[in-house]
Amino acid sequence: MGLGLPGPLVGAARACCEMDTPLPSGSDSDSEESLVTDRELQDAFSRGLLKPGLNVVLEGPKKAVNDVNGLKQCLAEFKRDLEWVERLDVTLGPVPEISGPQSTPQNKDQKAVDPEDDFQREMSFYRQAQAAVLAVLPRLHQLKVPTKRPTDYFAEMAKSDQQMQKIRQKLQAKQATMEKSEKAKQLRALRKYGKKVQTEVLQKRQREKAHMMNAIKKYQKGFSDKLDFLDGDQKPVARGSKEGAKGQQTKKGPNAKRRYKNQKFGFGGKKKGSKWNTRESYDDVSSFRAKKAHGKGLKRPGKKGSNKRPGKQTREKMKSRAR
Amino acid sequence: MAATKRKRRGGLAVPAKRPRKSGKDARPPAKPRDKAEEAEEEDRNRIPGPVCKGKWKNKERILIFSSRGINFRTRHLMQDLRMLMPHSKADTKMDRKDKLFVINEVCEMKNCNKCIYFEAKKKQDLYMWLSNSPHGPSAKFLVQNIHTLAELKMTGNCLKGSRPLLSFDPAFDELPHYALLKELLIQIFSTPRYHPKSQPFVDHVFTFTVLDNRIWFRNFQIIEEDAALVEIGPRFVLNLIKIFQGSFGGPTLYENPHYQSPNM
Repeated sequence: MGLGLPGPLVGAARACCEMDTPLPSGSDSDSEESLVTDRELQDAFSRGLLKPGLNVVLEGPKKAVNDVNGLKQCLAEFKRDLEWVERLDVTLGPVPEISGPQSTPQNKDQKAVDPEDDFQREMSFYRQAQAAVLAVLPRLHQLKVPTKRPTDYFAEMAKSDQQMQKIRQKLQAKQATMEKSEKAKQLRALRKYGKKVQTEVLQKRQREKAHMMNAIKKYQKGFSDKLDFLDGDQKPVARGSKEGAKGQQTKKGPNAKRRYKNQKFGFGGKKKGSKWNTRESYDDVSSFRAKKAHGKGLKRPGKKGSNKRPGKQTREKMKSRAR
Repeated sequence: MAATKRKRRGGLAVPAKRPRKSGKDARPPAKPRDKAEEAEEEDRNRIPGPVCKGKWKNKERILIFSSRGINFRTRHLMQDLRMLMPHSKADTKMDRKDKLFVINEVCEMKNCNKCIYFEAKKKQDLYMWLSNSPHGPSAKFLVQNIHTLAELKMTGNCLKGSRPLLSFDPAFDELPHYALLKELLIQIFSTPRYHPKSQPFVDHVFTFTVLDNRIWFRNFQIIEEDAALVEIGPRFVLNLIKIFQGSFGGPTLYENPHYQSPNM
């Protein structure tokens, strides 16, 4: 009755008065407790830090342990100072690529190898091994450590001879299949090409034959006197003698227009050509019938004489007269 | 495995297994040969035992074994590693119910000072521990993309037990955790000189590359002196999970933020 403050604020105020211990900091995620005490909640609410809804304490991102000093110390204790010839270790980057533009070697060095690209990755491992080998071999030769196995040195190998045989067989089989497929591809291509050539030749022959036949026909009709399309044909000799006997009258032959039309439309001959609209046909009035023209005539003889039947009234009159 | 070829040199009859044991003084001395490799032979451990033993100083021994429940690929990988590293020892499968620090005792019993332990979980995921046995650091990795020696695409071959050349990416020198890993890898994978089971020639190279926050392992055979290489195998990818200060335990020195558990 006395206080006009609403409930929670009263509680918060009371909490503030009653507290004599310092509050822990607002961020509770680092603390060991997972539960937040009521007092802290109330305080946070009074300060307006709490939002409506369910407030859940979140754990911060888990930090991975990286004890650099511990690692270095451990390494120092653990390291054994052996001679290099005992360890035979090399730390080198891969041999730089030969291919590609040489102008930007720095870019190439910095280009990261994509671990998803299998070929590139394996090539980088290969080149790293190559770099190591190239760096180390002279050193080994200096230290008189042998690297080349003499050809008659036989000892147990990591892979048995049987295994190596299997590997060799597999490689040979792969090579054989590749060669076979290559050969097959080539044959197919050749066949395609051969077919093309064959069709071309056939077509050419067809064309030539047609041309030759045309020329011969022309000759037969006497429209052409060029003989150079023929090679050793008998026709030209016979033709020449016939021409001489006839004389020059028909040397021209049909009209030039006629000849052109014959060449264009062939030697099929003329159509009926009986009706022409010429002066003669216009003047010819022999088929004129006057009576027909004027609408008279063509009196046909009647069948029974007059076919006329009198009309109804006349017939009735006749009937009544007859009664 | 195929039988070992005998050496064709007259006067040095070599048994098929383990030709380089100390009982060589009993054999008749080699005829005087004017082959170029005679000098090399003196260097190698075909020379009489005591001298050879005296020369072998770097006493690293690696224990390579696995837990139960590994699949065939892991088993082959383990066998390949044992073959490539003559300074390795094998052990029976460990029960997964035992705690990991039991491995330290196993190492001690076998007189090994390094360990490679393969742990298979759920028949799918393979974890690999590399550890320096009594006190040293250890690292746990997730192994992916395993290809073994037996794959037909790996066409190279090398001597069994020959010493490898180790090639590291420059990225190994940049960060402290990679530097520690580099030291661990060097000590584990480099075959000690004059080891009785080793061959003297350096004819293959292990490459370790840091790419995509993982360590890629490849093994190449050196064919020519001009660095023509062929892959031998095996190959795998190590995804670092954690580095511990102790062997199979102890405070965590480093945790890989890019690592995502395969179960998630």
